[in-house]
Amino acid sequence: MSSVSEQEFEPQQRLHPMSWLFATLALIRQLIFPLIAAAVFGSRDGAPPWLGYVVVPLIAGAVWKQFFYRYGLGPAGLVIREGIFFHNVRQIDYSRIENIDTERGLLHRLLRVVEVRVETSTGGKPEALIRVLGLTAAEDLRRQVFASRFGEARTAVEPEKEEVLLRLPTWEVVKFGLIDNRGMIVVAGLFGLLHESNTIELWATVLKDRMSAQAIDSLIASGPLIQITLGLGVLAIAFVLVRLFSVALALVTLHGFTLVRSGADLRARYGLLTRIALTLRVRRVQAAHVTDTLLHRLFGRVSVRVDLAGDMGTSQRGDEAQSKVRWLAPLAEPGCARELIGIALPTVDFSAPANWQPLSPRARRRVLRRSLIGWLLVSSVLAAVLRTYLPLSLLLVGVPVSAWYSAMYVRYTRWALQPDALFFRHGWLTRKLVIVPRDRVQVVCLKESPFDRRHRMASVCVDTAGAGPRSDQIRVPYLDLDVARSLAAALYESAAVEGGVPSYRTNAPAIGVPAA
Amino acid sequence: MSHQHVDPAAIITWRLETIAVVILVGVLCAIPLAPLSGRISLAISLAVITVGFMLAWHWPKARYRRLTYGLDVVGLTIQDGVWWRTQTSLPRVRIQHSDVSQGPLQRRYGIATLKLYTAGSRYTKVELEGLRHDDALALRDKLLNRDVVSV
Repeated sequence: MSSVSEQEFEPQQRLHPMSWLFATLALIRQLIFPLIAAAVFGSRDGAPPWLGYVVVPLIAGAVWKQFFYRYGLGPAGLVIREGIFFHNVRQIDYSRIENIDTERGLLHRLLRVVEVRVETSTGGKPEALIRVLGLTAAEDLRRQVFASRFGEARTAVEPEKEEVLLRLPTWEVVKFGLIDNRGMIVVAGLFGLLHESNTIELWATVLKDRMSAQAIDSLIASGPLIQITLGLGVLAIAFVLVRLFSVALALVTLHGFTLVRSGADLRARYGLLTRIALTLRVRRVQAAHVTDTLLHRLFGRVSVRVDLAGDMGTSQRGDEAQSKVRWLAPLAEPGCARELIGIALPTVDFSAPANWQPLSPRARRRVLRRSLIGWLLVSSVLAAVLRTYLPLSLLLVGVPVSAWYSAMYVRYTRWALQPDALFFRHGWLTRKLVIVPRDRVQVVCLKESPFDRRHRMASVCVDTAGAGPRSDQIRVPYLDLDVARSLAAALYESAAVEGGVPSYRTNAPAIGVPAA
Repeated sequence: MSHQHVDPAAIITWRLETIAVVILVGVLCAIPLAPLSGRISLAISLAVITVGFMLAWHWPKARYRRLTYGLDVVGLTIQDGVWWRTQTSLPRVRIQHSDVSQGPLQRRYGIATLKLYTAGSRYTKVELEGLRHDDALALRDKLLNRDVVSV
């Protein structure tokens, strides 16, 4: 690989002929709200004539861009050349390419093309977004990039054998929808849309016209029992509807979820309309999160996701790729989940019994006090707003609930410092377990709030390279000060040490090693 | 690990910074009330500034007493915070790159801020404020010079 050939290398491959369509659609999607607003407010009948002035230049720009876009596999890395007036050549070394993720929406699938994201460990937004390639071109690209990364010949390499680790049948996806409460998002979104488009007010006026004064009178006259039943009925219908939305959403987003092992990496594929193929490179996995809600326990399942290095989700463009949850298993039986975590975190020895430690013995009292203060605040604010003492009776419920909650919270919150990992599980109704390999720790923080100091306690926070804003912060609260100090010290000292595992597995990605 | 304090000149820079903020806040508090009564607005702004000056006098001293740092084989540990105390420990192999920066006030008193960047997600930037400029550079070199110390 001489530098001369590198400089002389000219990328030759072009995008798929239909790329301009997707580029235009993506631009329109970004402008969708201003466009809709302008279209709604700016015109009374039919499509506004100026829409053409917006869309035509967009298409022209996209075609122009596509015409001059070239990519190619250079001797040292992927080379992408863009533009003719504003010329830009981007070179991404094979060794730095961590992921090649693909995404296919409905239109992509109709046209048999795919959107390719090339990610490096830099984090934030993808290093290169190739929009769009034909199916075979994308598969070739992926195969050749990964082949050259392992120093093999770059010509036709056998596709790696894939071993299926988890496949979610439709019934499991339905279960996931029942457990997951994302139907609320749909409801909120619908409500927002209806509100924006004034449909709600329209319905309200229609309802007012239809509901005769007599009907309202008879409802008032029907007595509290029927009123309450009616109210509960409405609530029950709403609940069922939200769950149905959740199931529908789960079926659309997670249909056919398959997790496979391909060589050293894991790949997840899912989606009904938009097919997503994500590569979870094992050496980029920073932590594993297991979620176990009340409903999970009812179905005997848990959810497992991982944090990947570079997935910081802080991209300014709000790229949708960043907001994707990296599922290891949206739903799996606990035993299967354990196995999957073992595969995702090969450096952690799960056979050793975890040395679970409780929180400080005085933690329960502090949790109780916090919970009580919360109830007191809510009820007194309600009382002040409604100008009656009635809301204060909430405390009759609040006191026992707080007592029960604090006892249970403390009982189910435990941490364990293993030789190779930190385990932390917390919560009572929704139980969460976090597993952080100790050699993934970036920064250790010992925090003492004024309340902590009064009780001689502290909390220990651990930062890894993968925890995005949507991921849970890893923070062990309510520890005795000396326990917290020794935990922080132990984590800090082992953070830089590779726990007796081959270095290519732990520190090889650029996360721990400073940029040269 | 022996912890040491930052340069005492940092107190002056914090004090001046706080005073600047306090005067600004005091004036801003007075503006909305000025049309109602000049006297009340003056009194409020004076009150804010007085309290602020007391804060500006005591808080930097307290912070100086709390702000310590220690360098060991593994990396750097910084203790900071008067009410909400934190102890941040950063292994040197986790440092991606570093900055030594100076504001105009800091430059006047020969103070600098050492900023260490990690690949982490929440604590991507660990800052140590109030070092003498030369000390900041020396500390940075010691931290980045991994081969000598850590092996």
